[in-house]
Amino acid sequence: MIEEWRLIELTTNDAYMNMAIDEAILTMIQKGKSQNTIRFYRWNPSTVSIGYFQSLIDEVNVEACKKFNVDIVRRITGGGAVYHDYNGEVTYSVIVSRENPKIPEDILNSYNVLCNGIVLGLRKLNLNPAFKPINDIIVNGKKISGNAQTRKLNAVLQHGTILIDVDVEKMFNLLKVSDEKIKDKMISSVKERVTSIKKELGREVNFSEVAEALKEGFEEALNIKLSSGKLTEEEKALAEKLKIEKYSSKEWLYKR
Amino acid sequence: MKKNLIKFEYKVPGGKLIKVFASIKNGFIEEIKITGDFFLHPEESIEILEEKLKGIKVDDETKIRNILNDFFSSKTLIGATVEDFLSALKGVLNKA
Repeated sequence: MIEEWRLIELTTNDAYMNMAIDEAILTMIQKGKSQNTIRFYRWNPSTVSIGYFQSLIDEVNVEACKKFNVDIVRRITGGGAVYHDYNGEVTYSVIVSRENPKIPEDILNSYNVLCNGIVLGLRKLNLNPAFKPINDIIVNGKKISGNAQTRKLNAVLQHGTILIDVDVEKMFNLLKVSDEKIKDKMISSVKERVTSIKKELGREVNFSEVAEALKEGFEEALNIKLSSGKLTEEEKALAEKLKIEKYSSKEWLYKR
Repeated sequence: MKKNLIKFEYKVPGGKLIKVFASIKNGFIEEIKITGDFFLHPEESIEILEEKLKGIKVDDETKIRNILNDFFSSKTLIGATVEDFLSALKGVLNKA
Protein backbone atom coordinates (compact mmCIF):
# COMPACT_ATOMS: atom_id res chain seq x y z
CA MET A 1 0.00 0.00 0.00
CA ILE A 2 1.13 3.51 -0.75
CA GLU A 3 2.58 5.32 2.27
CA GLU A 4 0.56 8.23 3.59
CA TRP A 5 2.23 11.40 4.88
CA ARG A 6 0.68 14.50 6.37
CA LEU A 7 0.38 17.66 4.30
CA ILE A 8 0.20 21.01 6.09
CA GLU A 9 -1.17 23.22 3.37
CA LEU A 10 0.20 26.65 2.48
CA THR A 11 0.08 28.91 5.53
CA THR A 12 1.56 32.31 6.30
CA ASN A 13 3.35 32.95 9.57
CA ASP A 14 6.04 35.19 10.90
CA ALA A 15 9.64 33.98 10.74
CA TYR A 16 9.90 32.86 14.33
CA MET A 17 6.74 30.78 14.10
CA ASN A 18 7.76 29.25 10.78
CA MET A 19 11.05 28.04 12.17
CA ALA A 20 9.41 26.98 15.43
CA ILE A 21 6.85 24.85 13.59
CA ASP A 22 9.61 23.04 11.67
CA GLU A 23 11.45 22.24 14.89
CA ALA A 24 8.27 21.26 16.74
CA ILE A 25 7.37 18.74 14.04
CA LEU A 26 10.98 17.48 13.95
CA THR A 27 10.92 16.95 17.71
CA MET A 28 7.59 15.12 17.66
CA ILE A 29 8.65 12.86 14.80
CA GLN A 30 11.78 12.02 16.77
CA LYS A 31 9.58 11.05 19.68
CA GLY A 32 7.47 8.92 17.38
CA LYS A 33 4.44 11.12 18.09
CA SER A 34 3.96 12.73 14.68
CA GLN A 35 3.56 11.56 11.14
CA ASN A 36 6.05 12.25 8.34
CA THR A 37 5.09 15.69 7.08
CA ILE A 38 5.46 18.09 4.20
CA ARG A 39 4.44 21.69 4.73
CA PHE A 40 4.31 24.79 2.53
CA TYR A 41 4.53 28.29 3.92
CA ARG A 42 5.09 31.98 3.32
CA TRP A 43 6.67 34.63 5.52
CA ASN A 44 4.87 37.72 6.74
CA PRO A 45 6.65 40.04 7.39
CA SER A 46 9.18 39.19 4.71
CA THR A 47 12.32 37.77 6.33
CA VAL A 48 16.01 37.21 5.93
CA SER A 49 16.89 33.78 7.29
CA ILE A 50 20.53 33.00 7.99
CA GLY A 51 22.24 29.63 8.20
CA TYR A 52 23.09 28.10 11.57
CA PHE A 53 26.80 28.92 11.24
CA GLN A 54 26.49 32.46 9.95
CA SER A 55 27.22 35.59 11.89
CA LEU A 56 24.10 37.78 11.91
CA ILE A 57 25.90 41.10 12.15
CA ASP A 58 28.38 40.08 9.49
CA GLU A 59 25.76 38.87 6.98
CA VAL A 60 22.69 41.03 7.49
CA ASN A 61 22.15 44.77 7.21
CA VAL A 62 20.09 45.07 10.37
CA GLU A 63 19.28 48.75 9.84
CA ALA A 64 17.98 48.16 6.30
CA CYS A 65 15.85 45.26 7.55
CA LYS A 66 14.30 47.54 10.18
CA LYS A 67 13.65 50.21 7.57
CA PHE A 68 11.90 47.81 5.19
CA ASN A 69 10.10 45.95 8.00
CA VAL A 70 11.95 42.72 7.29
CA ASP A 71 12.43 40.22 10.13
CA ILE A 72 15.64 38.29 10.68
CA VAL A 73 15.78 34.70 11.90
CA ARG A 74 18.49 32.10 12.42
CA ARG A 75 17.74 28.62 11.06
CA ILE A 76 18.73 25.32 12.65
CA THR A 77 20.10 24.31 9.25
CA GLY A 78 23.42 25.37 7.75
CA GLY A 79 23.82 27.11 4.41
CA GLY A 80 23.55 30.73 3.43
CA ALA A 81 21.34 33.75 3.98
CA VAL A 82 18.01 33.73 2.13
CA TYR A 83 15.61 36.59 1.56
CA HIS A 84 12.05 35.26 1.87
CA ASP A 85 9.90 37.90 0.21
CA TYR A 86 6.22 37.58 1.14
CA ASN A 87 5.28 38.12 -2.49
CA GLY A 88 8.25 36.41 -4.07
CA GLU A 89 8.74 32.89 -2.83
CA VAL A 90 7.25 29.81 -1.27
CA THR A 91 9.05 27.67 1.29
CA TYR A 92 8.57 23.98 1.94
CA SER A 93 9.72 21.62 4.68
CA VAL A 94 9.97 17.86 4.59
CA ILE A 95 10.21 16.32 8.03
CA VAL A 96 10.59 12.58 8.11
CA SER A 97 11.70 9.76 10.37
CA ARG A 98 15.30 8.84 9.71
CA GLU A 99 14.31 5.18 9.69
CA ASN A 100 12.17 5.70 6.62
CA PRO A 101 13.83 3.69 3.82
CA LYS A 102 12.89 6.34 1.26
CA ILE A 103 15.49 8.69 2.75
CA PRO A 104 19.12 7.71 2.03
CA GLU A 105 21.40 7.81 5.06
CA ASP A 106 23.98 9.60 2.92
CA ILE A 107 23.21 13.31 3.10
CA LEU A 108 24.24 14.18 -0.46
CA ASN A 109 22.05 11.40 -1.84
CA SER A 110 19.15 12.44 0.32
CA TYR A 111 19.33 15.99 -1.05
CA ASN A 112 18.96 14.47 -4.48
CA VAL A 113 15.97 12.32 -3.47
CA LEU A 114 14.11 15.12 -1.70
CA CYS A 115 14.95 17.81 -4.26
CA ASN A 116 13.49 15.51 -6.90
CA GLY A 117 10.09 16.43 -5.41
CA ILE A 118 10.75 20.06 -6.36
CA VAL A 119 12.10 19.07 -9.77
CA LEU A 120 8.98 17.05 -10.60
CA GLY A 121 6.76 19.78 -9.15
CA LEU A 122 8.33 22.51 -11.26
CA ARG A 123 8.00 20.28 -14.30
CA LYS A 124 4.25 20.30 -13.75
CA LEU A 125 4.40 24.06 -14.20
CA ASN A 126 6.02 23.44 -17.60
CA LEU A 127 9.50 24.36 -16.46
CA ASN A 128 12.59 22.33 -17.23
CA PRO A 129 14.37 22.06 -13.87
CA ALA A 130 17.41 20.05 -12.83
CA PHE A 131 18.95 19.15 -9.48
CA LYS A 132 22.38 20.73 -9.08
CA PRO A 133 24.46 19.21 -6.28
CA ILE A 134 24.94 19.92 -3.47
CA ASN A 135 21.61 21.49 -2.72
CA ASP A 136 20.30 23.66 -5.56
CA ILE A 137 17.70 23.37 -8.29
CA ILE A 138 18.28 25.20 -11.52
CA VAL A 139 16.15 26.15 -14.53
CA ASN A 140 17.96 27.11 -17.74
CA GLY A 141 21.21 27.04 -15.83
CA LYS A 142 20.01 29.52 -13.19
CA LYS A 143 19.19 28.86 -9.55
CA ILE A 144 15.49 28.78 -8.71
CA SER A 145 15.59 26.88 -5.41
CA GLY A 146 18.01 26.48 -2.51
CA ASN A 147 17.68 23.78 0.11
CA ALA A 148 19.12 22.92 3.52
CA GLN A 149 19.00 19.88 5.72
CA THR A 150 19.55 18.96 9.34
CA ARG A 151 19.50 15.57 11.00
CA LYS A 152 18.71 14.66 14.54
CA LEU A 153 19.06 11.23 16.06
CA ASN A 154 15.84 9.86 14.58
CA ALA A 155 14.59 12.44 12.14
CA VAL A 156 15.52 14.50 9.11
CA LEU A 157 14.38 18.02 8.25
CA GLN A 158 14.91 19.53 4.84
CA HIS A 159 13.54 22.92 4.01
CA GLY A 160 14.02 25.12 1.00
CA THR A 161 12.83 28.07 -0.96
CA ILE A 162 11.33 28.26 -4.43
CA LEU A 163 11.56 31.66 -6.08
CA ILE A 164 8.36 32.89 -7.67
CA ASP A 165 9.44 36.46 -8.29
CA VAL A 166 12.81 37.91 -7.38
CA ASP A 167 14.08 41.38 -6.58
CA VAL A 168 17.88 41.06 -6.50
CA GLU A 169 18.43 44.77 -5.68
CA LYS A 170 16.22 44.56 -2.61
CA MET A 171 17.95 41.35 -1.55
CA PHE A 172 21.31 43.08 -1.71
CA ASN A 173 20.09 46.02 0.32
CA LEU A 174 19.19 43.65 3.14
CA LEU A 175 22.38 41.60 3.07
CA LYS A 176 25.87 42.84 3.79
CA VAL A 177 28.36 42.73 0.98
CA SER A 178 31.96 42.17 2.01
CA ASP A 179 33.19 44.76 -0.45
CA GLU A 180 30.88 47.71 -1.21
CA LYS A 181 32.99 48.66 -4.22
CA ILE A 182 31.98 45.54 -6.09
CA LYS A 183 28.34 45.58 -4.98
CA ASP A 184 27.01 46.56 -8.41
CA LYS A 185 29.08 43.88 -10.04
CA MET A 186 27.77 41.31 -7.56
CA ILE A 187 24.19 42.37 -8.19
CA SER A 188 24.54 41.87 -11.93
CA SER A 189 26.32 38.57 -11.44
CA VAL A 190 23.56 37.30 -9.13
CA LYS A 191 20.95 38.49 -11.63
CA GLU A 192 22.63 36.29 -14.19
CA ARG A 193 22.71 33.31 -11.86
CA VAL A 194 19.25 33.46 -10.28
CA THR A 195 15.81 33.12 -11.82
CA SER A 196 12.18 32.75 -10.75
CA ILE A 197 9.06 30.93 -11.86
CA LYS A 198 7.51 34.18 -13.08
CA LYS A 199 10.55 35.05 -15.12
CA GLU A 200 10.81 31.63 -16.70
CA LEU A 201 7.11 31.31 -17.51
CA GLY A 202 6.66 34.93 -18.50
CA ARG A 203 3.38 35.11 -16.62
CA GLU A 204 2.00 35.61 -13.12
CA VAL A 205 1.59 32.47 -11.03
CA ASN A 206 -0.32 32.23 -7.82
CA PHE A 207 0.98 30.67 -4.68
CA SER A 208 -1.56 27.90 -4.42
CA GLU A 209 -0.82 26.83 -7.99
CA VAL A 210 2.86 26.46 -7.10
CA ALA A 211 2.14 24.68 -3.81
CA GLU A 212 -0.23 22.26 -5.55
CA ALA A 213 2.36 21.44 -8.23
CA LEU A 214 5.03 20.88 -5.57
CA LYS A 215 2.70 18.67 -3.57
CA GLU A 216 2.16 16.47 -6.61
CA GLY A 217 5.89 16.55 -7.31
CA PHE A 218 6.71 15.23 -3.85
CA GLU A 219 4.00 12.55 -4.08
CA GLU A 220 5.50 11.31 -7.31
CA ALA A 221 9.16 11.58 -6.28
CA LEU A 222 8.68 9.81 -2.95
CA ASN A 223 5.83 7.54 -4.01
CA ILE A 224 3.63 8.74 -1.18
CA LYS A 225 0.15 10.11 -0.76
CA LEU A 226 -0.11 13.46 0.96
CA SER A 227 -3.26 13.88 3.04
CA SER A 228 -4.18 17.28 4.30
CA GLY A 229 -3.82 17.56 8.07
CA LYS A 230 -3.22 19.99 10.89
CA LEU A 231 -0.59 20.48 13.55
CA THR A 232 -1.31 18.44 16.68
CA GLU A 233 -2.03 20.25 19.95
CA GLU A 234 1.35 19.13 21.22
CA GLU A 235 3.14 20.50 18.14
CA LYS A 236 1.29 23.80 18.45
CA ALA A 237 2.21 24.17 22.10
CA LEU A 238 5.85 23.33 21.44
CA ALA A 239 5.99 25.71 18.48
CA GLU A 240 4.63 28.58 20.61
CA LYS A 241 7.27 27.85 23.21
CA LEU A 242 10.11 27.62 20.67
CA LYS A 243 9.00 30.82 19.00
CA ILE A 244 9.23 32.78 22.22
CA GLU A 245 12.08 31.07 24.01
CA LYS A 246 14.32 30.28 21.05
CA TYR A 247 13.77 31.78 17.62
CA SER A 248 12.83 35.32 18.62
CA SER A 249 15.42 35.50 21.42
CA LYS A 250 18.47 37.72 21.10
CA GLU A 251 20.55 34.86 22.41
CA TRP A 252 19.68 32.63 19.44
CA LEU A 253 19.67 35.40 16.83
CA TYR A 254 23.08 36.71 17.79
CA LYS A 255 24.45 33.31 18.76
CA ARG A 256 27.19 33.59 16.14
CA MET B 1 30.55 38.80 18.99
CA LYS B 2 33.09 41.35 20.11
CA LYS B 3 34.11 44.06 17.71
CA ASN B 4 37.90 43.88 18.17
CA LEU B 5 38.26 40.46 16.59
CA ILE B 6 40.47 39.77 13.60
CA LYS B 7 38.43 38.59 10.64
CA PHE B 8 39.50 36.43 7.73
CA GLU B 9 37.33 35.26 4.84
CA TYR B 10 38.24 32.12 2.99
CA LYS B 11 36.43 31.32 -0.23
CA VAL B 12 35.99 27.60 -0.75
CA PRO B 13 36.47 26.54 -4.37
CA GLY B 14 32.88 26.06 -5.56
CA GLY B 15 31.46 29.05 -3.80
CA LYS B 16 30.94 28.63 -0.07
CA LEU B 17 32.58 30.98 2.43
CA ILE B 18 34.29 30.30 5.74
CA LYS B 19 34.66 33.43 7.85
CA VAL B 20 36.79 33.17 10.94
CA PHE B 21 36.85 35.70 13.75
CA ALA B 22 39.59 35.43 16.37
CA SER B 23 41.29 37.29 19.15
CA ILE B 24 44.91 36.48 19.91
CA LYS B 25 46.70 37.09 23.18
CA ASN B 26 50.49 36.70 23.50
CA GLY B 27 50.58 34.46 20.46
CA PHE B 28 47.80 32.14 21.63
CA ILE B 29 44.19 31.85 20.44
CA GLU B 30 42.06 33.54 23.06
CA GLU B 31 38.71 33.42 21.32
CA ILE B 32 37.59 32.00 17.98
CA LYS B 33 34.36 31.80 15.97
CA ILE B 34 34.08 29.91 12.73
CA THR B 35 31.13 31.13 10.68
CA GLY B 36 29.90 30.69 7.12
CA ASP B 37 27.45 29.01 4.78
CA PHE B 38 28.87 25.47 4.90
CA PHE B 39 27.03 22.46 6.36
CA LEU B 40 28.30 20.58 9.39
CA HIS B 41 26.39 17.74 11.02
CA PRO B 42 25.71 17.82 13.92
CA GLU B 43 25.56 21.61 13.83
CA GLU B 44 26.04 22.27 17.54
CA SER B 45 29.42 20.55 17.46
CA ILE B 46 31.05 23.65 15.91
CA GLU B 47 31.25 25.03 19.45
CA ILE B 48 33.25 22.00 20.56
CA LEU B 49 35.74 22.67 17.77
CA GLU B 50 36.03 26.32 18.75
CA GLU B 51 36.58 25.32 22.36
CA LYS B 52 39.35 22.89 21.33
CA LEU B 53 41.14 25.64 19.40
CA LYS B 54 41.27 28.00 22.36
CA GLY B 55 44.67 28.27 23.97
CA ILE B 56 46.51 26.89 20.95
CA LYS B 57 49.66 28.69 19.81
CA VAL B 58 48.83 30.51 16.57
CA ASP B 59 51.84 29.14 14.64
CA ASP B 60 51.44 25.52 15.76
CA GLU B 61 50.08 24.28 12.45
CA THR B 62 50.62 20.61 13.29
CA LYS B 63 48.52 20.93 16.43
CA ILE B 64 45.77 22.80 14.59
CA ARG B 65 45.78 20.22 11.80
CA ASN B 66 45.53 17.40 14.35
CA ILE B 67 42.64 19.07 16.14
CA LEU B 68 40.77 19.51 12.84
CA ASN B 69 41.43 15.94 11.65
CA ASP B 70 40.39 14.52 14.99
CA PHE B 71 37.26 16.67 15.18
CA PHE B 72 36.00 16.12 11.63
CA SER B 73 36.67 12.38 11.65
CA SER B 74 33.38 11.84 13.48
CA LYS B 75 31.37 14.60 11.72
CA THR B 76 29.88 15.19 8.31
CA LEU B 77 31.17 18.32 6.60
CA ILE B 78 29.46 19.41 3.37
CA GLY B 79 30.41 22.24 1.06
CA ALA B 80 33.96 22.53 2.46
CA THR B 81 36.84 20.23 3.36
CA VAL B 82 39.11 19.91 6.36
CA GLU B 83 41.83 21.52 4.22
CA ASP B 84 39.53 24.50 3.61
CA PHE B 85 39.04 24.89 7.36
CA LEU B 86 42.79 24.72 7.87
CA SER B 87 43.35 27.41 5.22
CA ALA B 88 40.70 29.60 6.82
CA LEU B 89 42.26 29.23 10.26
CA LYS B 90 45.76 29.84 8.96
CA GLY B 91 44.46 32.95 7.23
CA VAL B 92 43.14 34.50 10.41
CA LEU B 93 46.12 33.43 12.50
CA ASN B 94 48.60 34.85 10.00
CA LYS B 95 46.87 38.19 10.38
CA ALA B 96 47.52 38.17 14.12
